[in-house]
Amino acid sequence: MATEMTGREPVYVWEAPVRLWHWVMALAMVVLAVTGYFIASPLPSTPGEASDNYLLGYIRFAHFAAAYVFTIFLLVRIYWVFAGNKFAREIFAVPRSMLKPSWWGGLIDQGLYYAFLKKEARSYQGHNPLAQAAMFFMYLLGSLFMIVTGFALYGEGTGMGSWQYKLFSSWVIPLFGQSQDVHTWHHLGMWYLILFTIIHVYIVVREDISSRETVISTMVNGWRVPKP
Amino acid sequence: MTPTFYEVMRQQGITRRSFLKFCSLTAASLGLGAGGATKIAHALETKPRVPVVWLHGLECTCCTESFIRSAHPLASDLVLSMLSLDYDDTIMAAAGHQAEAALEDTITRYKGKYILAVEGNPPLGDDGVFCIPGGRPFVDKLRRVAKDAAAVVAWGSCASWGCVQAARPNPTKATPIHQVIDNPVVKVPGCPPIAEVMTGVVTYIVTFGRLPELDRQGRPKMFYSQRIHDKCYRRPHFDAGQFVEAWDDRGAREGYCLYKMGCKGPTTYNACSTVRWNEGVSFPIGSGHGCIGCSEDGFWDKGSFYDRLTNIKEFGIEANADRVGATVAIVAGAAVAAHAAVTAIKRARSAKSNEKVEK
Amino acid sequence: MAVIETQGFRLDNSGRRIVVDPITRIEGHLRIEVNVDAKNVITNAVSTGTMWRGLEVILKGRDPRDAWAFTERICGVCTGVHAIASVRAVEDAIGIKIPDNANIIRNLMHATLYAQDHLVHFYHLHALDWVDVVSALNADPRRTSELAQSISAWPHSSIGYYRDLQSRLKRFVESGQLGPFKNGYWGHPGYKLPPEANLMAIGHYLEALDFQREIVKIQTIFGGKNPHPNWLVGGVPSPIDLDSPGAINMERLNMVARIIGETIAFIDQVYIPDLLAIASFYKDWAKWGGGIASQNVLAYGEFPDIANDDSNKSLLMPRGAILNGNLKEVQPVDLKDMNEIQEFVPHSWYKYADESKGLHPFDGVTEPEFVLGKNTKGTRTNIENVDESAKYSWVKTPRFRGQPMEVGPLARYVVAYAMGRPEFKEPVDMVLKKLDVPLPALFSTLGRTAARGLECSWAAHKMKYFYDKLIANIKAGQLATANVDNWEPRTWPAECKGVGYCEAPRGALGHWIRIKNAKIDNYQCIVPTTWNAGPRDGKSQIGPYEAALMNTPMAKPDEPLEVLRTIHSFDPCLACATH
Ligand code: HEM
Ligand code: HEM
Ligand code: NFV
Ligand code: SF4
Ligand code: SF4
Ligand code: F3S
Ligand SMILES: [Mg+2]
Repeated sequence: MATEMTGREPVYVWEAPVRLWHWVMALAMVVLAVTGYFIASPLPSTPGEASDNYLLGYIRFAHFAAAYVFTIFLLVRIYWVFAGNKFAREIFAVPRSMLKPSWWGGLIDQGLYYAFLKKEARSYQGHNPLAQAAMFFMYLLGSLFMIVTGFALYGEGTGMGSWQYKLFSSWVIPLFGQSQDVHTWHHLGMWYLILFTIIHVYIVVREDISSRETVISTMVNGWRVPKP
Repeated sequence: MTPTFYEVMRQQGITRRSFLKFCSLTAASLGLGAGGATKIAHALETKPRVPVVWLHGLECTCCTESFIRSAHPLASDLVLSMLSLDYDDTIMAAAGHQAEAALEDTITRYKGKYILAVEGNPPLGDDGVFCIPGGRPFVDKLRRVAKDAAAVVAWGSCASWGCVQAARPNPTKATPIHQVIDNPVVKVPGCPPIAEVMTGVVTYIVTFGRLPELDRQGRPKMFYSQRIHDKCYRRPHFDAGQFVEAWDDRGAREGYCLYKMGCKGPTTYNACSTVRWNEGVSFPIGSGHGCIGCSEDGFWDKGSFYDRLTNIKEFGIEANADRVGATVAIVAGAAVAAHAAVTAIKRARSAKSNEKVEK
Repeated sequence: MAVIETQGFRLDNSGRRIVVDPITRIEGHLRIEVNVDAKNVITNAVSTGTMWRGLEVILKGRDPRDAWAFTERICGVCTGVHAIASVRAVEDAIGIKIPDNANIIRNLMHATLYAQDHLVHFYHLHALDWVDVVSALNADPRRTSELAQSISAWPHSSIGYYRDLQSRLKRFVESGQLGPFKNGYWGHPGYKLPPEANLMAIGHYLEALDFQREIVKIQTIFGGKNPHPNWLVGGVPSPIDLDSPGAINMERLNMVARIIGETIAFIDQVYIPDLLAIASFYKDWAKWGGGIASQNVLAYGEFPDIANDDSNKSLLMPRGAILNGNLKEVQPVDLKDMNEIQEFVPHSWYKYADESKGLHPFDGVTEPEFVLGKNTKGTRTNIENVDESAKYSWVKTPRFRGQPMEVGPLARYVVAYAMGRPEFKEPVDMVLKKLDVPLPALFSTLGRTAARGLECSWAAHKMKYFYDKLIANIKAGQLATANVDNWEPRTWPAECKGVGYCEAPRGALGHWIRIKNAKIDNYQCIVPTTWNAGPRDGKSQIGPYEAALMNTPMAKPDEPLEVLRTIHSFDPCLACATH
């Protein structure tokens, strides 16, 4: 599923919930990465009584608060796959799209284009196949991985009776071997998402400058508009 | 008829009152509350002493040493009055043939009724020749004794997970016991486990005649359902962001959190911060060193004990998450910059050629 | 069958072969085979370590600062000694100097282990070789009480105390469930104690079992737990701050002081009097079990009084070797001399490129190779008799200038005695006089057991000494417990090597480390029981265990009490020996 631009008419691509989700999620992820980093490598100690300080406590609180926002928005976004327009489905439909030869053709074309081996890229109303693949494999699976491992760690703190423990910790920890390994992989997952973000933001900015349609403003107002 | 535990205690001149006191202390140490004491008393009054066979594989005998440190119950009371330690090569009087005969006698006479406690583990490499007590591979002895055991207890991280001899490259193929026998196994990990945790598990089994409730990995929930970190008295310093930054620094003397010194308390399930060690005198963190995670599977192979971020073996011996991640991020950043540069050059060129065409 | 003459012994394996496996009441897995002649006198002895874990292999490539934790797990009975040797090896390699307090605390923790380990050995691992549990049933509690009071001021000695104990014992025996006492050699003609002494000893067996828990709490205070307390390269992990709830403060120190007092009392009022009382019934055993103790003994020295100084000026327990029984000349010992200490493997289940040569542990190699000699009876997974002409043990064969050496309390006492150190000489002379035996009686099963007792008392008093030193330091405002200047690996040389010495309860212990690019390049341990239990060398020289069993008469070869007595007098630890 990847719809090429056919005419020069503006297309309403990203509905409001998708746009809202995108920016909230992006913000949450920045908070998660920054706080997560400092959970792993805390700032220099603050002197004084323990009761007068709560630095790591706040950092962890921010991490967990952002984690809930992140998770809930992803759930809402998943609901929107069914309620929203066809573009809202694109990145979730990658496994199905992969069955179609045309999708692979688009993927290859896009790859050649980024490798400077093809001058022009095809124009798409939503995402091109390469973007879809990245969104699915890096962003979507990466985020699910972070949620599963994150809640497994969270459940350790809330204890054996908690739903987080029952739903996540109880099987995730044995799966990885032990808690320390879950930490390590959760931590590594952060870098995986950072990698995605670097590439994503670069491509978005690049396309915004060089392509024949709007890109960044599309994620702001929803409309894919051909540039004059 | 073999006398019951209560009879034996009575015969030994222990009054009913101190017997009941013993029961309530045991109940308290098991976290069973007041009702538990009556149950223990009843159980002890009606059951004969349970035979225990204690086998040693590849190990360091530290679990035995820990066991005899038990304060409640005292190891002496346990061994003389609560159970019948019929075979344990570390303390038994008989040796050689006489020792082996004692073992045979117990496992045939008490078939299906004895408890098997295992310290250490069997090496499976090279036909098991790395541990050959009696001239035969330990794994054979383990399997034979396990066959008719009523319950099997895995002492320590050796029997439970493999422990130090199973650390990479595990030259003897030391293997945790649950992988070589069919019985359900109660794992009591720790290197060694806390004395009262060990005796608590055995007394639970002999008094209630059943295994304690276990978690998914086979550990008794009463001792292993919380992390060191959950009940660590330094936790307020963790939340406050107050850490020991170097050994013997100001923070160390103040008792700040040992997280930055590599403490594995946040990822270690054990009772150290609640039960503590040697009759509650201290526990590793209480004496200034981080937890090294000694009750966790494979804790030897997670990188240095002093590193907060531990190694990922999939990326070779020497890589922690931040090093892997930062490397990837830098490479990606460089690639993006290079890509952007090429794009800019190409655009400039094509802009020029466009200009030419227009002219 | 072969006859070998070596070191004044005549090894003849033609007589009846007796196998004792497992040797019980030791740490780890040990097998002893002996041949006896028509008169049941031992004519050949074979000592086989039957376990190996490969710690030296596992340590390669790891962070040297972690090594103490790995090596500590070599043994939980002598817990901590490998940790001490390890941190000393790393500190020696990198050139780290530890603060005075760290030195004192390490000494204090180590002396604590001596007290506890020796006590447990005497009562729980060795006593049943001399004490007949069943005979105690016939004791008269009144006379037991008199006996106890005649030899010691220990308060638990009333008639009622021994009557209770005896009835407890009676019920226990009558229950039919003898537990660990099942199938013991009760009634064996080798047991010589009167019933009253047996009853008294059993009382102390139980008291010692309860009391040893107290002693180790000192290790818990400074190291967080026991067994396997925590140590640190560069010092000790526990900081000192009298005014902080988070460090070693007055409450902690008071607990240490209380335990030291009780430890001294128990050892001097229970262990030592028991030892002397029991010994007086077994003077025969001053004739047997000496082995090579009268010829070659070795000690690396221990308890440096001056931090970072391991010369004999500093070592409270001296370093030295006696060769060929020459007590007049104590040989210097250099752990770094490539020709002095070497390990051989012609009779061990390891392979070297050239097995006719020994390797200094800096260049040591540990590569397992399990092969049995062609005279082995049985199969590789069902060994009936080993073949001592081929490889037959997981223990390597260490040699000092080519000589087998006995190590342990007896060796330490002999070295210190030869050096004329009064703290060691005077108690030895006192015991010899009390038992009315000559100096050579020391070189025996009995002498070995007596030396351990004396050393236990010496260590307990040294605990007090170190405690007082620590208090004096704190009073003087010295609080430092760790030197972190070289904590970070980037401050280390690219390549370095070092040695960590230690006198463990069972004898001389060394760890040799090579560090390359902040990782362990090679790590070798030669452990007390490696010295004592090791198999023969290429010249068929026998080691301390095998030698000590030679020529001992056995009353009933099927009940190998005599073998147990002599082997137990060394306090074997096979997890240590093989590691
Ligand atoms: C944590 C950071 C970010 C993440 C995880 C992220 C993730 C995503 C995802 C998953 C989509 C696909 C939406 C869909 O198909 O449902 C998307 C689209 C988009 N994102 Fe982001 N984003 C991030 C940051 C940014 C930033 C900083 C910008 C702007 C500079 C941006 C601009 C866009 C645009 C323009 C699109 C639409 C692309 C198109 O129209 O093809 N994103 N982003
Ligand atoms: C973009 C998503 C996320 C990122 C980048 C992220 C990052 C991190 C990082 C780097 C750590 C430190 C790990 C370590 O080395 O020990 C961490 C810890 C943690 N994260 Fe996340 N995380 C994310 C999502 C989540 C989610 C969804 C949860 C769910 C509740 C979560 C819960 C936790 C918990 C409980 C910890 C451990 C905190 C502690 O040990 O005190 N994280 N996170
Ligand atoms: N041999 C030996 Fe040890 C001691 N003492 C260690 O170095 O026992 Ni486990
Ligand atoms: S678990 Fe640890 S303490 Fe117990 S025997 Fe194994 S190595 Fe020793
Ligand atoms: S010292 Fe360790 S267990 Fe305690 S709060 Fe800090 S990190 Fe957690
Ligand atoms: S190292 Fe082990 S002893 Fe307890 S505090 Fe950690 S689990
Ligand atoms: Mg070695």
